[in-house]
Amino acid sequence: MTSLTLDISPVGRVEGDLDVRVEIADGVVVNAWTQAALFRGFEVILRGKDPQAGLVITPRACGICGASHLKCASWALDTAWQTEVPRNAVLTRNLGQITESLQSIARHHYGLFMIDYTNRKYAKSRFYEEAVKRWAPYTGRNYELGISMSGRAVEIYALFGGQWPHSSFMVPGGVACAPSLTDVTRAWSILENIRRTWIEPVWLGCSIERYEEIRSHADFMAWLAEKPEHADSDLGLFWRMSEEIGLGTYGRGHGRYFSWGYLPHEDKYNKPTIDGRAAAVIMKGGIYDGDADAHRAMEQALIREDTGRAWYDEPGGLHPYDRTTTPSQRTESDFDGKYSWSTAVWHAEAGRLEAGPLARQLIAGGSHGESWQYTHPLVLDMYRRMGGASVMLRQFARMHEVVALYREAERCLRELRLKDLWYIKPRERDGRGWGATEAIRGALCHWIDIEDGKIRNYQIVAPTTWNVGPRTDKGERGPIEEALVGAPIADARDPVEVGHVCRSYDSCLVCTVHAHDARTGEELARFRTA
Amino acid sequence: MANLLWLQGGACSGNTMSFLNAEQPSVCDLVTDFGINIVWHPSLGMELGEELQRRLRALISGEMPLDILVFEGTVIRAPNGTGEWNRFAGRPMKDWVSELAAAARYTVAIGDCATWGGIPAVPPNPTDSIGLQFLKRNHGGYLGAEYRSRAGWPVINIPGCPAHPDWITQILVAIATGRAAEVELDDLQRPKTFFSVFVQNGCTRNLHFAYKVSATEFGQRKGCLYYDLGCRGPMTHAPCNKILWNRQSSKTRAGLPCNGCTEPEFPHMDLAPGTVFKTQTLMGIPRVLPTGVDKVSYVKLMAIAKSAAPRWIEDDIFNP
Repeated sequence: MTSLTLDISPVGRVEGDLDVRVEIADGVVVNAWTQAALFRGFEVILRGKDPQAGLVITPRACGICGASHLKCASWALDTAWQTEVPRNAVLTRNLGQITESLQSIARHHYGLFMIDYTNRKYAKSRFYEEAVKRWAPYTGRNYELGISMSGRAVEIYALFGGQWPHSSFMVPGGVACAPSLTDVTRAWSILENIRRTWIEPVWLGCSIERYEEIRSHADFMAWLAEKPEHADSDLGLFWRMSEEIGLGTYGRGHGRYFSWGYLPHEDKYNKPTIDGRAAAVIMKGGIYDGDADAHRAMEQALIREDTGRAWYDEPGGLHPYDRTTTPSQRTESDFDGKYSWSTAVWHAEAGRLEAGPLARQLIAGGSHGESWQYTHPLVLDMYRRMGGASVMLRQFARMHEVVALYREAERCLRELRLKDLWYIKPRERDGRGWGATEAIRGALCHWIDIEDGKIRNYQIVAPTTWNVGPRTDKGERGPIEEALVGAPIADARDPVEVGHVCRSYDSCLVCTVHAHDARTGEELARFRTA
Repeated sequence: MANLLWLQGGACSGNTMSFLNAEQPSVCDLVTDFGINIVWHPSLGMELGEELQRRLRALISGEMPLDILVFEGTVIRAPNGTGEWNRFAGRPMKDWVSELAAAARYTVAIGDCATWGGIPAVPPNPTDSIGLQFLKRNHGGYLGAEYRSRAGWPVINIPGCPAHPDWITQILVAIATGRAAEVELDDLQRPKTFFSVFVQNGCTRNLHFAYKVSATEFGQRKGCLYYDLGCRGPMTHAPCNKILWNRQSSKTRAGLPCNGCTEPEFPHMDLAPGTVFKTQTLMGIPRVLPTGVDKVSYVKLMAIAKSAAPRWIEDDIFNP
């Protein structure tokens, strides 16, 4: 058996290893399995601990999305303890989420995704030479700038949270900090620096204001053709090169998406409840069914987890509140049986759903939700006109979010009232809580059940759980498994296309792809992605 | 030129994320200016599969010198001592660690998981996790108390959850530029250059500590976090208020109690009910006193401190 190894650059190994097994026949992926290969047992550790233990432990579940975990952990306690959260605290938590997301966009885009465009496979592309100059690891002009910008974004986080990663500054009832004027003005200066040195000159090739005029696919194409600065920006070059190398033609997936929505409005979620959340967030949540072209609401009560194909000894179809997180002692890989540490998450009515920036943007295009909530029609329009999802559109959706996140960060800073409260001390009590947000890579939420002053049960369902989950008990493939099927493979011993699909989901697991011949079972290639 | 291999066991990648925040030197500078050849790092773009395994074997056999082995995350031994719950490159990670540590000139544990076991080792320690040369304060760990790297060193522990990027890069630069002999370790094998000072050194709330003015709850600009909110700054060795985080701030400056993450007991008291963000007291006196202070002296000190407190100490000196 021969196997080839490709030099594909990963980033963001956050929860352990992901193995992807694909079978290739006649130049097309015909079947796929995604396997999460590390168990750390955070839910098991949290059992019996202090109700606030999640504020310390869960950010440490994920070094790249720690603020997102912290946000879920604090909102979960807020709902359980029935706290009052002052508007300054809502804004500061949102600012923390936004700056972590800006960090993550730059780190994923340059550190992981664009490196593939310098793969020798694309040497014939007319954009190749420029791609290498900009995006080659360590030495590429924009690679170095991107890594540096990712660190700068979380300097803002440190001003309010003390440090990034792994702060615990969001606490039930508010935030630990009480910033003063210099913290706010310094945050402004850093934000402005990011705009002037990266977002406008490098990322967009135009002002943020000009980019904000783009509301449709046609607008975007007109923008691209308008000036060489637009076409040659990192966004413009990404678009043109992706199109040329065919990334708009595969990586489709189930075509069903969801978001919890995020960024609670500072005046609408001061008495947080589980049921009141959806109508209180600026970026609305929901489900989008691409085949029916229809939006609907999303509810945590309808979440189910199957473990028939995962290494847990628990019944299938449970709501997370009812799970016990009981790991199997036997963990052999059996692709007809159990093969992953990730559970298979599904929605009781809508089935398997994809999470991530594409999902968020397809939902932002809907007319559902509250009239004051953020809507943006661009990505949904592209989805309709370009024939559905693809590797290219999934990555574009993430790139598109930079501008809206920048604007929301500005708004948080503008709205902070330095003489008002940052924290209202809550009364501790037993009960159930739920907190959610959108990490950059998709929907994240925590469930907490407090009994006798300690944690009876704590459950986390991360975006990666949704996207890399194995088959359900009924055999329905997970989102990435599904997106891989149908991917055309130009060279079966160098299936870079598989890597593109996996990386477009930005799973927070290091991903190793194993490619097999569907008829003989021979391993054709093995390589890392994320 | 120094060959560096960075591996992750039971890890969240937080130390890698922290490392990527580094400036002066940045990660790119380490490679281009200091001749550190990153043979492989899980986030920085190298191979896996056959080619990585070939490289790992070359490092183990000595065919390619392994100058610095960096390990992030716990060594996972579950289930039943097999380490199967953390497979890497075709076998349990713990088996790679044993062979690579034997070949390395220097072995560096980065972050609490690799040094003491960290969060994964909190009871019931479901993954049977352990640090490289310690489990909590117990010497030994996965490699054993007698372990020495080829240069004759025990594991160099750079703790923290996460470790500060400067603590990481400065030690790597010291080794790569031939100054390892100047790195002195304390009894927990931490470089003294970083871990002799306390988190309290440089804290902006020091005057409030001195005159015993407490921040009784979160969201206050003034007041010391030690008396009520469980801050461990006076008994935690780390330069968090000397070398600031993200070039800007620190937990205590931002009003968040130090949780003592560079000490082996982190998370302290295993996060038992009633212990998070609350100073544990007995008859009104904190159970854990500032390092080196006895109870009688503490009581005297506090009485004097309160009586000596200037009137302005109750004012909000950190005006909004």
